[in-house]
Amino acid sequence: MLAGSFLGDANSRLLPASIPFGFFAAAAVFHMAAWVALFVGAGDVAGFAGGPGPVLAAIHLLTLGVLAMVAIGASFQLLPVATRQPLIRIWPARLCFWLMVPGVVLLSGGMTGASTLALQIGSGMVASALFVFAALSADNLRRAGAMPVVAAHCWAALCALAISAGLGVIMITDFSLGFLTNHTAVAVAHMLLAAFGFMGLLVLGFSLILIPMFALSRSLPTKPTWAQMWLAVLAIAFAAIAVFADNAGLFLAAIVIAVSAASVYLWLMGNALRTGMRKRLGISMLLVRLSWGLLLVALLLGFCIIVDIPAPNLPALFGFTVLVGWLLTFLLGVLQRIVPFLASMHASGKGGLPPLLSDLTPDLPLKLHAGFHLIALMACSVGILFDSTRVLQIGESAGFAGSVAFAVFLGLVLSKLNASPPKA
Amino acid sequence: MTQDLPGKHWQEADGLHIDVRALPPPDPMVAILGQIEHPDQSGPITVHHDREPIYLYPELAERGWQYQIIPGEPGEVRLILSQET
Repeated sequence: MLAGSFLGDANSRLLPASIPFGFFAAAAVFHMAAWVALFVGAGDVAGFAGGPGPVLAAIHLLTLGVLAMVAIGASFQLLPVATRQPLIRIWPARLCFWLMVPGVVLLSGGMTGASTLALQIGSGMVASALFVFAALSADNLRRAGAMPVVAAHCWAALCALAISAGLGVIMITDFSLGFLTNHTAVAVAHMLLAAFGFMGLLVLGFSLILIPMFALSRSLPTKPTWAQMWLAVLAIAFAAIAVFADNAGLFLAAIVIAVSAASVYLWLMGNALRTGMRKRLGISMLLVRLSWGLLLVALLLGFCIIVDIPAPNLPALFGFTVLVGWLLTFLLGVLQRIVPFLASMHASGKGGLPPLLSDLTPDLPLKLHAGFHLIALMACSVGILFDSTRVLQIGESAGFAGSVAFAVFLGLVLSKLNASPPKA
Repeated sequence: MTQDLPGKHWQEADGLHIDVRALPPPDPMVAILGQIEHPDQSGPITVHHDREPIYLYPELAERGWQYQIIPGEPGEVRLILSQET
């Protein structure tokens, strides 16, 4: 096999395996921890309105420990593909990991009410990790040579991340100093910007590459992808302003625009699936399709909250549907597909034949995970709606069992990757 | 229909050539896999790319194809694809 300088920048675009897989493995552990924390705080879930305790810890184990962790690991690997530019340095990605993991542990531990100092140190470490991630990503995006619409989604996501992280640090400082006049508004804006702004825009942007790649469809039409981006950004901006202005009209406008953005997004995704060469997309795409449905449900719940539909515990159900129903389900579905793919590429070495994807994808843990995750979604939603701690705990136990199955899947793939080390 | 696939393709004495340079992802992968999945195609196929298609390799292996990188023009990554023997 000939291999020399003409290989271009392939190796720099394929990061050392320890970077993406390190983030994914940490996410798998925090995924289990999040369900445990939610089980412990089951009695407070349905009426949760903020404040320290196991539910707040569970939310941040999920958002920072799982969602952000996966987003960062995937971004470090996918951004160079989208922009055709390698990361400028590898060490900041490792630094980000080593700030993020202990930071999430301290932050979530502190949020249980155990220690204000842990909360402050943890938030500082997480904020630093997110800053390193944002700086490394911004540098890569600045040099972007391709796919400007994906880069634009990422820029907007980084802006939302910066504001959301800033609000998070302000709220933690407020826990000890109590200077905020409207802590709740800041908390809602923080949640909206983190979930829809940072995570949501990354999901929308990377979907433009990932879903066509999974389905083997042609790249998507440009104009609707830009429409999706601008509508989503507008919806998030309207929602953030509406929180501080306490303006229901602005909230309604935000929901209408968000539904429009989601419609364009789902039309694009449907287009990719319809025209793709690969029709059998397995369990991973079932989860992704489910997450798309739950995105619409979440927006419907948001509408119900704004127009004061008299249903119990809607805010908690809305938060659960956004974070677990839409974002977690989507990311776990995508991870099921990209983890064996990345492992195959890393195991191949230069010119060698990579292990077969089918050999790297253990079916049973994925089936178990999907089944338990589905039970968790249904039982927790019912538990929140009817304020039933028992039903919630059944759902959280199923969620934990699913998270164990997912960790087993990841462990099996990594063990196969270690069994065939890269030759490069 | 291979005519509908993205990129340029033409026949030479050494087999089919596909030029996928400057295509956005995942069009290069779609162009290449579309050709190798055609029932009449047994290779070899020469691919003219502007970067090493690292995401293609697992898909090739899954379909029983292998690749070899050979020198190309400056800025080009040229691959020969053939069915595993």
